[in-house]
Amino acid sequence: MASKSKAAADKAVKARPTTPSTHTADGRYRTSAVYKSPRTLPVDQLPAQFSRADIEFIGIDHSGASYEARVYINNPNADANTPPTEANGYAGSYYIFGHGGCFGDVGHCDIPPKQDSFDIRPSHPLEPIRKVVIATDAIKNAAAQGSQINVTVVPVILSWTDKTVLTDVMKFDHINVITYD
Amino acid sequence: MASLIVRKNVDNLLPAELQALRTGYKNAQAIMDNRGYNHFAGLHGIPNWFCWHHDHTRGSAVNANLFLPWHRAYLLSFERAIRDQSPATPKVGLPWWDWTSSISHSSGVPNAFSVATAGGQPNPLLRARIVAPTATPPINRLTRRFPGPPSQLPTAASITNLLNLSQFNDFSTQLENIHDFVHGWTGGNNGTVGGDMGSLGTAAWDPIFWSHHCMIDRLWYLWQLKHGVSNIPPALLPMVLTPFSLKVQDVLSPNALGYEYAVSFVTL
Repeated sequence: MASKSKAAADKAVKARPTTPSTHTADGRYRTSAVYKSPRTLPVDQLPAQFSRADIEFIGIDHSGASYEARVYINNPNADANTPPTEANGYAGSYYIFGHGGCFGDVGHCDIPPKQDSFDIRPSHPLEPIRKVVIATDAIKNAAAQGSQINVTVVPVILSWTDKTVLTDVMKFDHINVITYD
Repeated sequence: MASLIVRKNVDNLLPAELQALRTGYKNAQAIMDNRGYNHFAGLHGIPNWFCWHHDHTRGSAVNANLFLPWHRAYLLSFERAIRDQSPATPKVGLPWWDWTSSISHSSGVPNAFSVATAGGQPNPLLRARIVAPTATPPINRLTRRFPGPPSQLPTAASITNLLNLSQFNDFSTQLENIHDFVHGWTGGNNGTVGGDMGSLGTAAWDPIFWSHHCMIDRLWYLWQLKHGVSNIPPALLPMVLTPFSLKVQDVLSPNALGYEYAVSFVTL
C-alpha cells in the first residue's frame, strides 16, 4: 500500500437505534439497534482505481457485550436475518470482544482524561477502539452499480454478562472509507 | 543443551501427553497463591486488567498495538506455571486449538476441552473456578461455556488471506478481529446468560482460553516466518509488557524464548 486516500468520512454519527432489540431467526443470538448511515458517499469521490478499500470504524465502545457487526453496502433494510452474502451487499464484519460491564467499584470504568505530558500511564482499558473491515470487493461492486454508497451495520450479540445492556450494544463515533493504490 | 518446548495441535496430543496436561491444569487450579491458575487467569481481566488489546495511543505518538507481544509473554508465564505442576514426563507445552480445522468445523471445541470427565475424574480442561473476591460483586463460581455452531468458525481460507498481509499493524488488527470472534463464539450464550470466554473480564478462567491464544500466537509465528521475525514497528520494541519482565523486543522469536510449534512430534 503505497498511499491512501480517505474519502468522504461519515462524520460524527453515533450509532442510532432504528430497530427494537430482537433475536436472529434461529433464536440463538440477539440483535440490537441497527446503524444506518445518515449520509451517502458519492462514488465520484472514490479514485477510479484502487487495490484495496477499507471501512474504518473509529471510537468504538467495547465496555459491554461481545458482538458481531455485519457491514452492508447499499442495503439499508439489512437486519440480523439478512444472509451475509455479496448479493445482499455484505462487505464483512468486525467483532467486539466486550469487557462485559463493570466489575469494579464506582468510577472504575470511567475513562479519566490525560493529566499532562508527564502522565506515562497506559491508556484506560476502555478507551474507544478502532476496527477495520477490508471491503475491497464490496466497495468496487457498489461503485460499479451506482452513484452512491451507504453503509448499514447490523449488530448480532454473541455473548454477554448480567452487567451488560443489550438494547443498544453498538456505539461508535464515525466511519471512514479508505482506498489504497 | 535445553530442548525447546514443543507446542502441538491439541488433536494430536498422545494420550499420555493429554493426561499430563490435565494433571498440570488440575494441580494449578487447586493452588490459590501466585503459582496457581486463579492468579494467572486474574492477570488478564478481573481483577488486574493487565491485558493489552487494540491500539493504545494515550501519552505518545506511538500506535501501540501490543496485542500479540503481550499475549505471547502471558502464555509463556502460564505455560511455565502449568509445567511446574505437571509430571516430570512427558513434559508438554500448551497445545493450540486449530479452529480452522475440519474437525473443529464439525465438532467445535476440541474433545479434550469438552468432555465432562477423563479417567473417572472431572475434566480440568472443561471448566475452572473463578475466585475473584475483590470484584463487585465478588465472584466464586465455575466457568460457563455455550459455543455456537461449529460451521461459523474461521476458515483456513481466511487465514491464508490474513497471512498475506505484509504490515504488522494491519496483520495484528485483522488477526485480533478473528480472535475477538472466537471469544464471542466460544463463550456464546444460553439465551439467558453468556459464557465466560465471551467477556474480557472472565475469559482467561476458561481453560480453552490458553489454547485459543496458542493458536493466535502460532499464527503470528507463521506470519513471522513469512514476513520476518523482526517485522514490527521499531517504536514498539522497548515497550514493557506489564506485569511480565519482558519488553516487546524480548518476545519476537519463539525459538529464543524456548518453544516452537509443531503439528506432531514423536520421540522414538
